[in-house]
Amino acid sequence: MIFGRRRSRNPLVLALARHALLVAILVVILYPLLWMVGASFRPSNEAFGTLSVLPGNFTTENYVEGWSLGNLNFSRFFLNSLVITLLAVVGNVVACSMAAYAFARLAFPFKKTMFGLMLGTMLLPYHVTLVPQYVLFNELAWINTILPLVVPKFLATDAFFIFLMVQFIRTLPQELDDAARMDGCGHVGIFRRIVLPLSIPALGTTALFTFIATWNDFLGPLLYLVRPETWTVAQGLNGFLDATGESAYGPLFAMATLSLAPIVGFFLVAQRLLIEGIATSGLK
Amino acid sequence: MFTRSLSAGALALGLLATGCAGGTSIGANPNEGATGTGEVAGNVRMAWWGSGPRNEVTNAVIDLFKAAHPGTTVEGESADFQAYFERLNVQASSGNMPCVTQMQGRQLNDYTTKNVLLDLQPMIDAGTIDVSAVPAEVLDTGRGLDGKLYMIPYGAAYDAMTVNRTLAEQAGVGLPPEGYDWNAFADWVTRAQPGLPEGIPAVNLGGSLPNNFISYAAGRGESLFADRQLGFSEDLLVEFWDMWERLRAAGVTTTAEATAEEPNQTEQRYVAQGRVLVDNLPGNALTPAQKTLDGTRPGQQLVTLPQPTGPAGPGNVLFTSGFSIPTTCDNIPTAAAFVDFWMNDDAAAKAFLSANGAVTNTRHLQQQLDDPDLPALKHAELDLYQRIVSQKPVSVVYPPGYHASFEGAFVRAYESVAFGGTSTRDAARAFMTEVNAALATT
Repeated sequence: MIFGRRRSRNPLVLALARHALLVAILVVILYPLLWMVGASFRPSNEAFGTLSVLPGNFTTENYVEGWSLGNLNFSRFFLNSLVITLLAVVGNVVACSMAAYAFARLAFPFKKTMFGLMLGTMLLPYHVTLVPQYVLFNELAWINTILPLVVPKFLATDAFFIFLMVQFIRTLPQELDDAARMDGCGHVGIFRRIVLPLSIPALGTTALFTFIATWNDFLGPLLYLVRPETWTVAQGLNGFLDATGESAYGPLFAMATLSLAPIVGFFLVAQRLLIEGIATSGLK
Repeated sequence: MFTRSLSAGALALGLLATGCAGGTSIGANPNEGATGTGEVAGNVRMAWWGSGPRNEVTNAVIDLFKAAHPGTTVEGESADFQAYFERLNVQASSGNMPCVTQMQGRQLNDYTTKNVLLDLQPMIDAGTIDVSAVPAEVLDTGRGLDGKLYMIPYGAAYDAMTVNRTLAEQAGVGLPPEGYDWNAFADWVTRAQPGLPEGIPAVNLGGSLPNNFISYAAGRGESLFADRQLGFSEDLLVEFWDMWERLRAAGVTTTAEATAEEPNQTEQRYVAQGRVLVDNLPGNALTPAQKTLDGTRPGQQLVTLPQPTGPAGPGNVLFTSGFSIPTTCDNIPTAAAFVDFWMNDDAAAKAFLSANGAVTNTRHLQQQLDDPDLPALKHAELDLYQRIVSQKPVSVVYPPGYHASFEGAFVRAYESVAFGGTSTRDAARAFMTEVNAALATT
């Protein structure tokens, strides 16, 4: 006599069940995004009229209207964002990797203290440093330039990425450094020829997260890029909203949809590196 | 619904206090008593909030000004309302406010009490800025706690009961009677509910909406603030919340949960979506709200009414936007000339077309109302404003910290009633204690 129901061990059934569950989760996660994409093809005043992802009255007018925001073309915002983001990525990768190498491999006085201070900067809310930074950049006459958004990236100011790369570099065998040193390499050579090539996963992670954070950043550009011709994509999207007047949701959704393309593209390119970086940096 | 406003307000206070307390370039007023006279030339920065449509009309006025004053340039700085003040607070703390800074009455004294704005009366006295066409009650909304004029109000918004006329007629109740008070309003929504479609409440729950209470207090002749403290009685607030609790209990309002979740953008408000019969909306929101309703509920029509009256008179209070000139401005003559141009130039007023509340210059207002090409909805907005101003609405001077302390606490206090079961008496007492303590420290 058998008590209870026998659990299916058919591999096909189990696989189908797992995939069904994953698809269900995917639908839930992607629904807001799909709804936005659908809304971007609905007339602006019908944007909130349905929960369906299908556009009832299909139109591409939102993309046409959104691309032309006042006297400016949204391509200008994309170009601005792209320039800033790429420079930020380069700056962060170069500067943070060098800082991380120093903390991970060099011996110098007060290293631990300085490492602690560096980590401590992660505890400071952005808003605490907001005004002093603005005063500094204003005195430097950098307002309305991209310098406040780019130059700090070349000065290793993002403690999170320094920490990430320190952790990664520490996993690299010290023996490799020793071998390189025996072959005549100094720190520059060790960094350039040994550590850097082996840190590609961490560099990729840094690049990806920097790209996403910079591309989506709104407060920084809001403060420093005041003239419309300097606006980033995030500012351009904000330009469709007006809590005190009329908002243009159709064009907003259309341009927001397009704004995701660079992030998705960059992620697809860097995702393998991202996975390796997360796996080996202790972020899991 | 007010979370973003609360966070923005709190951020504003924190940043401003931090920046000013830290001893930035804001200090003694180098331009105190400035009359604004001098050569109108060079560059000024101008800041305003808004989106694409408003940016276009603002830039149109800028172009007119530059044409009228060759040799001048104006750099525009715009952002959405919340983003605008986030940036402005940093600029103020850093001594870098634009020479022509758009301001609103409810935030004005966050700045005036920090010595960052000029008293504009000397410019008026010198004839640099002409405000003779602006009603006194409207002009007074630009005053600080010290009575000085820190903002020239150019656009006046007001609250309006926005009614879905179509639903009201279907319910068989029509519109509330002329000069209706809150009792008549409550009776009207109660009578309307049975005739409304299933799932459509008569009124958006308004107990957590500060503007409803501001209107309620005005109609009863009680001051909102006095000597930087709350100026109304605890009993008044209890009475107000009891009214809304009775309506909620009667099942004629949205649920507290639904109200709390309602976005604050006009196009997403329930009345604009056809999901409620009536709600308090800014009067100048009629056009975008109707436009949205045309998409979601074709054929339904919105109409705006004055706020309910009270024993002391009308319940409407104006919420004005205008221009201020910071103490750090390095080109006051051009800034003053720009403000004067904006306020008085006919072509400029026509170009802007009351895009941020009704134009406060009465001559321009009449010109716009007389224009046969004025869109019907805009005409309705301006006509209602003209009726409200003719009744000489009370002017409210908001103390510094109003936005962060009053509005945030008001929402929390009522939600403690609606969600937490707190009595209205206890909630009112806690609210007044909290707000008075906060105001005392700003």
